[in-house]
Amino acid sequence: MSNKTTRLALALALAFGAISGAQAQANRAEVLHWWTSGGESAAVKELASAYTKAGGTWVDAAIAGGEQARAAAVNRMVGGTPPTAAQFNTSKQFLDLIDQGMLANVDAVAAANNWDKILPAPILNSIKIKGHFYAVPVDIHMPAWFWYSKAAFAKAGIKDEPKTADELFAALDKLKAAGLVPLAFGGQPWQEKITFYAWLANVGGPDMYMKLYRDKDVNLPATPQFKAVLTSFKKLHNYVDAGSPNRNWNDATAMVISGKAGVQIMGDWAKGEFATAHMTAGKEFGCFPGFGAKSPYLVAGDVFVFPKINDAAQIKSQQLLATTFTAPATQVAFSNKKGSIPIRTDVDIKGLDLCAQQGVTIMKDVSRQLPTPEMLISPDLEGSLQDVITKFWNTNESVDDAAKAIAAALKNG
Amino acid sequence: MFLATAAVAFLLPLYVMVVTSIKPMEEIRLGNLFAWPVRITLEPWVQAWTSACTGLECGGIRVGFMNSVAIVVPSTILSILLGALNGYALSFWRPRGAQAFFVVLLTGAFIPYQVMMFPLIRALATLGLFGTLPGVVLIHTLFGMPVMTLLFRNYYASVPHELFMAARIDGGGFWRIFVQLMLPMSLPIVVVAVIMQVTAIWNDFLIGLVFAGHEWLPMTVQLNNIINTTTGERLYNVNMAATLLTSLVPLTVYLVSGRWFVRGIAAGAVKG
Amino acid sequence: MVATVLWVYVGSVLWSMRISVSSSRTLPISDFVGLKQYARLFDSERWVLSLQNMALFGALFIAGCLVIGFLLAVFIDQRVRAEGVLRTVFLYPYAMSFVATGLVWQWMLNPELGLQSTVRGWGFPNFKFDWIVQQDTVMLAIVVAAVWQACGLVMALMLAGLRGIDESLWMAARIEGIPKWRVYLSIVLPMLGPSIGTAFVLLSVSVVKVFDVVVAMTQGGPGLASEVPAKFIIDNLLVRANIGLASAASTVLLLTVLALLAPWFYARAHAARRSERSARALRASATQGAAA
Repeated sequence: MSNKTTRLALALALAFGAISGAQAQANRAEVLHWWTSGGESAAVKELASAYTKAGGTWVDAAIAGGEQARAAAVNRMVGGTPPTAAQFNTSKQFLDLIDQGMLANVDAVAAANNWDKILPAPILNSIKIKGHFYAVPVDIHMPAWFWYSKAAFAKAGIKDEPKTADELFAALDKLKAAGLVPLAFGGQPWQEKITFYAWLANVGGPDMYMKLYRDKDVNLPATPQFKAVLTSFKKLHNYVDAGSPNRNWNDATAMVISGKAGVQIMGDWAKGEFATAHMTAGKEFGCFPGFGAKSPYLVAGDVFVFPKINDAAQIKSQQLLATTFTAPATQVAFSNKKGSIPIRTDVDIKGLDLCAQQGVTIMKDVSRQLPTPEMLISPDLEGSLQDVITKFWNTNESVDDAAKAIAAALKNG
Repeated sequence: MFLATAAVAFLLPLYVMVVTSIKPMEEIRLGNLFAWPVRITLEPWVQAWTSACTGLECGGIRVGFMNSVAIVVPSTILSILLGALNGYALSFWRPRGAQAFFVVLLTGAFIPYQVMMFPLIRALATLGLFGTLPGVVLIHTLFGMPVMTLLFRNYYASVPHELFMAARIDGGGFWRIFVQLMLPMSLPIVVVAVIMQVTAIWNDFLIGLVFAGHEWLPMTVQLNNIINTTTGERLYNVNMAATLLTSLVPLTVYLVSGRWFVRGIAAGAVKG
Repeated sequence: MVATVLWVYVGSVLWSMRISVSSSRTLPISDFVGLKQYARLFDSERWVLSLQNMALFGALFIAGCLVIGFLLAVFIDQRVRAEGVLRTVFLYPYAMSFVATGLVWQWMLNPELGLQSTVRGWGFPNFKFDWIVQQDTVMLAIVVAAVWQACGLVMALMLAGLRGIDESLWMAARIEGIPKWRVYLSIVLPMLGPSIGTAFVLLSVSVVKVFDVVVAMTQGGPGLASEVPAKFIIDNLLVRANIGLASAASTVLLLTVLALLAPWFYARAHAARRSERSARALRASATQGAAA
């Protein structure tokens, strides 16, 4: 018994010692994020080493799972021990925190680094609330790329990348005829959701997309054009295999990697899986961001917010973090490892892979930028719409009923 | 025979886990779940223990091992002790309001932890225990009380009341009867309680994450970071190896506990 | 200590009820919107479905675990040779976190990847076992995995109870010439009343809080078919930034539990007292018979 008490006392002493000792480090910053896989860790290392080079001390607090990490950040803010910086998405997730006055703004850094000029509009709109900058963006991800296996395409006799929805369906038919799984799909609600985003943006068009997500037009779902999009979206279901429900996205990518399946619609983070399998873009697999030369480019991203801390040293660390994260060199190094594209287009893209280079070039065309719905609607409404989409995808619900359900969700949310 | 068939059925998922954990990723991608590996590799196990990435650090699950031990040992002991005490008091002494207290305790067990997070965080923060080892041990003890009390109370309910009466006639008080009579007799149920608490607290993720603070994060946090990557690549062989490694501690407890599942302990006490 | 417990549990529940009548989103707000969250709750198809799923899951899971756990305990109690090993074989699923085992079950039950395709490969082309991808049967698939994980503990509980049964009872039964299976059914089973009661409550707690297995196996899918209340609550709490709705849901859940638990609790306490009396009677008659 006494042994345990001694250990406990020692543990307590060590804990106190560690805390007070840590505060003596220069520009100490505890950064909470959810990047925990091998590839993501390498990317975080770029951020951490850039910060260290700038004179800071990085204390890592990683928690896998976006919701878990954000919940942990909020819990710690409520409990009085907030991290120096916490990862969120470019979205409305942190608006409540701003309303309750729990976040500090980084207007000084934004002004000094010309954020108004160098950041693309969708990103700016999600970090600048009521005229103040409350988050620093670190990357841009695109959730609606089309990935395909060159071997599968060759086997099915498909020569070119599909440029329209009809060409895609033709290619999927060829894949089916060749005995392959045409569309590698993971039947989880969030995957069904982003597939719908990709479909609506490409087939319905950017105007219809914005009418739904930015304007929340309750009359839109009843229009025949929208219902046509729903119908062709459901048509994709004919091309997935029977084992698709519940499947993880990585398992679907594995099907494309092994050549069992032809196409997958997934975000640019899928490159990580291809890289782990030692595949290169343009050689064993191909990527295109949508249908045709003017296809929309959905913009999503990760940001870091700064909890309000009444400590001059911590505030200094926060500002140093913000400056370091957005520096061009950091951006290129980070994007390379992360599979994302930099938040600024004035960087050297030679080192990035084929698909990322495509992305950066497209971003220069402002008319193709389309914010993802999470930047436009609340998490609650996004969730309600996701419920409708997943029900529509998985049951025999009619297009009319689905349209009505979407309208109802828009009205309530 | 029934036991043999049941055992095979039970072991099937374990077989898949072990086989997956010694296959290279190329084989796993092919999807032949039950196939024996073409090329056996122990690399995932080494990785899981020492070098799997859990954020910036790539130190495997080894990092949190001692923390988990430091959390599990006091929490298990305290929660079982308090549960046994409560069960004993409720069964034999029946103080006023015992039933009501028991009902409250039991209902509390049904609430998902996340719902209680905010008030508990604020409470611990006020006490200065948020993010400390004593804080997380306290929370585990609190959350373990309903089930432990239920366990012991029901066990003591099957102990003949005459035994207790005899002890009281012999002059035993509350504590003497508890320590000298009830505890020794409770060995089988204490074993079950240890199994339950060690498993629950060792595998707990949420309470450790929220209340243990950065210095005392248990192994399950690293395990979660390895397995539940959102948009990163997933190395299933490492995930399986990490899970198997984590479960070795509760499994050892189960194996060792066998010694005490002995028949006739209560019988001996009755006769004597 | 009593005060701490009461304050923690009762306090949390009261706080949660207070939030359920507010419009809190990510953080608690102390405004008052009446029963709006509750109205929205029961309007939600997902919530109603989750309650139905929980009822189905509960019935099958508890019955399955109790029956299989009891049978396993009885068979192991026959002084089987490899008892230690067998006990660990049935207990090991309980030791593992569902995050990984849930994925294994998802793979095994997937028609393309797991048991269905393997058995078909052995030459049974019409073998069908795709519960997990069908809307109507996905909860059954989850029950299978959940029973696998939990019945080891039920077995351990029953075993502890069986080991507490007096040796003299078996002797008495042998003297009276009662066959073993009858002893188990008519005498031992009622005597295990408290153990069964404990197991029942523990299993019920798992049923109400079931979350990990659903998230690991199906994420609530396909579609909304395997939605459960705990997942609904946590989704609204963490993902949809809607703690008002989540608190309303958890309050409803708690009240349902209270309503169901109270009568069972009193019935069980009554039955336990009855069985103790009958066991005492048997022992008394056996000693009389032996003395004669």
